[in-house]
Amino acid sequence: MKVGTFDTRSGAIARALATPKGVIAGGWLFLVVFVAIFAPYLTPYDYDIQNLPNAFAPPSAAHWLGTDEFGRDLLTRIMYGARTSLSVSSVAIGISVFCGMCLGAAAGFFGGWFDRAVTVAVDLTWSFPEILVALILVAIMGPGVTGTMIAIGVAYLAQFTRLTRAQIMAIKSETFVEASRSLGAGHGYILFRHLLPNALTPVIVAAMLATGDAIILEATLGFFGLGAQPPTPSWGALMSSGTAQLFKAPWIIILPGVAVAVTVFAINLFGDALVRALDVRAGLREA
Amino acid sequence: MNRSIRGCLLATGVSLAAMVSMAPSVFAQEAVIVLASNEVGQPMYNPIKGTLLNTANSMIYDRLVAQDAERGYHPHLAESWEEAEDGMAWTFKLKQGVTFHNGEPFNAQTIVDWIPLFEGSENAYLVAAIEKVEKLDEHTVRFVMKHPDPNMLYNLASAFMGVPEPKAFVALGDDFGVTEAVGTGPYRMESFDIGLETVLVRNEDYTWGTPLAENTGPAKFERLTFREIAEDSTAYLELRTGGVDVLLSVPSDFLPEVKQEDDLKLLTIQGRELTYMVMNVTKEPFTDINVRQAAALAINQQEILDNIYNGVGLAADTFLISALPEAKIADEHRISYDPDKANALLEEAGWKMGPDGVRMKDGKPLEVALWTQSDSTFRRLTEVVQAQLKAVGISGQISTFDSAMIRDQYKSGEQQMAVRSYIWDNADIVDWFFGADRLGYPNISMFVDPKAEELRAAAMTGSKSSAERVANFTAYHEYVLSQFPVSPIYQPVIGLGYNTTRVSLPDSINAPDINSTVLIDMAPAE
Amino acid sequence: MLGYIFRRLLLLVPVFLAVSVVIFSIIHLIPGDPIDNLLKIGSGPEQREIITARYGLDKPLVVQYWIWLSGVLQGDLGTAIVARRPVADLIAQALPHSLTLGLCALAFSTTFGIVLGVIAALNRDKFADQAIMGGVLLGSTMPGFWLGLLLILVFSVWLGMFPVSGARTWSALVLPVVTVGLGGTALVARVTRVAMIEAAQRDFVMLLHAKGMRPLRINLRHVLRHALIPVVTILSLRIGWILGGAVTVEVVFARPGLGTLLIKSLNQHDYPVVQACLLILAMAVMLGTLIGDVIQAAMDPRIRAALG
Repeated sequence: MKVGTFDTRSGAIARALATPKGVIAGGWLFLVVFVAIFAPYLTPYDYDIQNLPNAFAPPSAAHWLGTDEFGRDLLTRIMYGARTSLSVSSVAIGISVFCGMCLGAAAGFFGGWFDRAVTVAVDLTWSFPEILVALILVAIMGPGVTGTMIAIGVAYLAQFTRLTRAQIMAIKSETFVEASRSLGAGHGYILFRHLLPNALTPVIVAAMLATGDAIILEATLGFFGLGAQPPTPSWGALMSSGTAQLFKAPWIIILPGVAVAVTVFAINLFGDALVRALDVRAGLREA
Repeated sequence: MNRSIRGCLLATGVSLAAMVSMAPSVFAQEAVIVLASNEVGQPMYNPIKGTLLNTANSMIYDRLVAQDAERGYHPHLAESWEEAEDGMAWTFKLKQGVTFHNGEPFNAQTIVDWIPLFEGSENAYLVAAIEKVEKLDEHTVRFVMKHPDPNMLYNLASAFMGVPEPKAFVALGDDFGVTEAVGTGPYRMESFDIGLETVLVRNEDYTWGTPLAENTGPAKFERLTFREIAEDSTAYLELRTGGVDVLLSVPSDFLPEVKQEDDLKLLTIQGRELTYMVMNVTKEPFTDINVRQAAALAINQQEILDNIYNGVGLAADTFLISALPEAKIADEHRISYDPDKANALLEEAGWKMGPDGVRMKDGKPLEVALWTQSDSTFRRLTEVVQAQLKAVGISGQISTFDSAMIRDQYKSGEQQMAVRSYIWDNADIVDWFFGADRLGYPNISMFVDPKAEELRAAAMTGSKSSAERVANFTAYHEYVLSQFPVSPIYQPVIGLGYNTTRVSLPDSINAPDINSTVLIDMAPAE
Repeated sequence: MLGYIFRRLLLLVPVFLAVSVVIFSIIHLIPGDPIDNLLKIGSGPEQREIITARYGLDKPLVVQYWIWLSGVLQGDLGTAIVARRPVADLIAQALPHSLTLGLCALAFSTTFGIVLGVIAALNRDKFADQAIMGGVLLGSTMPGFWLGLLLILVFSVWLGMFPVSGARTWSALVLPVVTVGLGGTALVARVTRVAMIEAAQRDFVMLLHAKGMRPLRINLRHVLRHALIPVVTILSLRIGWILGGAVTVEVVFARPGLGTLLIKSLNQHDYPVVQACLLILAMAVMLGTLIGDVIQAAMDPRIRAALG
């Protein structure tokens, strides 16, 4: 197992960006994140001010991507939608990474019945489709962005628990850990000084890829009317309202879907480039 | 576990076999109809036990009494009836020569056996006022009442009082309405795949249709397939591509498109649904009747009708659907858009316009939680309501819940405002939603008012005749509106969309909703 | 081998009990009451009590759990509260639709995934590799309901090739299978490609090359066989997807499968149905994992030897 330190990791991003795929994917992701952060300054219209007589206007000079059923500028709403979709999915994955690493590290480090219980639980939840897990959790937690973040976070928890545990198990018996232990280092020291930093690299890559899946999951929850509350746009909510206008104004459903697909595609490409640059075992993304 | 697993496997095999053998077949003698999306998933064709009954029920089961579009009552399986002066007895003369799908005769004994079957069921309240049923002769029965029930005819006309064959009902038990359904209707059930489709075949002996329809004999189509499609856009696409012939209820989003298409035609009838906004009178700022009235007057019903529903339907100004006699109230009690008055009322109540377009009082902004269901139609409507409230300086924060959860939330009494709808065509809906003993849910507005309770008691139990009931409910309805716990918004029509190259239907319909009265007149297109 | 399977089956018992507890508690954590769905306008409070008592919902949760579990162990999944029918009936109606779609989609993604993965691996880093892997990746990044609707728009509405929805004919199955299958194709293709490339670098493969065996024969007969082990592992671990992975697609194409049933029952808070659906999914997952492990063992001579 390769040992990645923070230096090699930041170097890896540079190396990933040096490939053509990496540049294109990275460029798109930068653009999306930039738009998401600075949406209020970049958009020509308000995302929530309705102009009912101007509903379903096709793309034009004034509205590059047309307007939605309330006459709101679709480009503005897609840009604000990037904000919701990206923040929900990245916070959600943040939750899964944090909790997953804690659980996985504890399971891998301490072993025994705790490890077995975690493994069984993780195997089970991991094999359920994330959408079902998320739907049930949203039902428990109630509507709104917070509930959605937690639900998506839990849906992907298993993946990171599994990954961290595997990493810890692999490194636990390496000589430098044994050496440290024989020098009298405590559990906490070994865990935080040696094991977790070394387990971090694959987790970062996996987290990046999972963020892409989380964007799709958020969109799917939006299709069921869950997640961000109106009038806040999210890519999923935009597509959901667009289904009714499939003939009248197909751009309302097509464009946010393209935004989702291209962004998730870019995340995956960039993830791949990162995997190669980091020289993490390629199979890890399936773990 | 064994038994159920084996059942599942068996069913898998059967259904795979069915899929191989069934080719898509569209004969002129067969029509494919899509049920309304809110009727999807009906678990059984059982009027006594069922809590959700789809339109196909009316094709299988006939009722004693039929209703016209104006909510008047007409004979169907009952030829005539008479209510005793004191309301303590009803006598029904039954139609002769009617037989069930299984050959059993329909007569007085049927009714004597049928009414007690309701006992202990979800629908028992329909016959709760009946003490016993007496057979006077072969075709005459008398209901002896525990207390007068001015709602008797309404109940008898409801889908839940379609008459099943009592012997088969008892013999089949839980399978009744699942594997077999025996009624007297114009069609018999051939197969039923829950959530997917129901196939009906014509009852060739049928000669007892309601006089409200043109055709009182056997139906024109040999077979009807009722399909269930939950997703609105999918249902519309099926109609548009010729995959199905009729949509019983065209989703409101697609009404204008059905109107535009050459081969498609829209038949609209007054529905039973009413959409409204409700306010919790026990929660600030709606403890102030002026604020309630202002919010109610801020709703621009016409704008909603034109822009959300494409001008199809009616702008509502009472809490009851306009077809009901109790909806004919004095004009001053009707609630419709008046932004100037809304603004004036808010000023008077001390809410002054703040810098960001939200009114303020004592340093607090006029912000309220606005709840609704997570379905796309509710979300869309509520977004417009939110914008309209904002126009008079009320800022609403939308929260959406699924339909079961939102009821639970209402029980907490924490709601401030909600956008909802109900489907019902009887004035007792006012009692259901504003009765003081059902706070939280269904009384979402937490409305408790001594005068309203007096009027309510008079309407619910103090009415001896139908006319008296109408007068009492009108007064109760008027009074509730005058306290502004609610703002009516919209009354949808049911738009039946059909493919004119495949089926033909009369241009006007004399029924309160789409039922056998409508569909028995459906014929193959020439 | 039989002993191994038996031991694994025995291990499922405690897991099954734990899962049943988790499912039961999670369902009852959801706020809401199924009875509200049954109460009709005009019915009084006594009606609520009658219905609550009929389904035993007035009893303490522990008692409710015990009644449910003992029923399940005797093969009785209970009666649906809102639907008022035996849960087993509802599931027996829904399961075939989900199984057909799930298995066809699995076959689709396995076939295309393996074929494309092999082609990509054999053309490693060439244009074909890039194009294939990019293509399958893009196919998996589109939300299912969105892809489904667009496929309907193109193939049903514009080209008129397939019916929009339904579950009666094979042709109605094509679009849903493609929609669900495309998502899985990327995963299978990716795993196959990586596994092929890794297996091709093994010593024994080098040896076969040195012996002068034809490369195509080596690749298809020996390399692919080794490469399939991780593919089977991945597929067996995601067995739950066969039954429940197509929820949105089922909704879009109006297929009354297990996913649709689960969502509807979840919305209505029809506890017995939701519990049974989840339990069946969990059991499918557990058995799937077991079957996957057994197949893996059977394919890998080393494990087979170790197990005797």
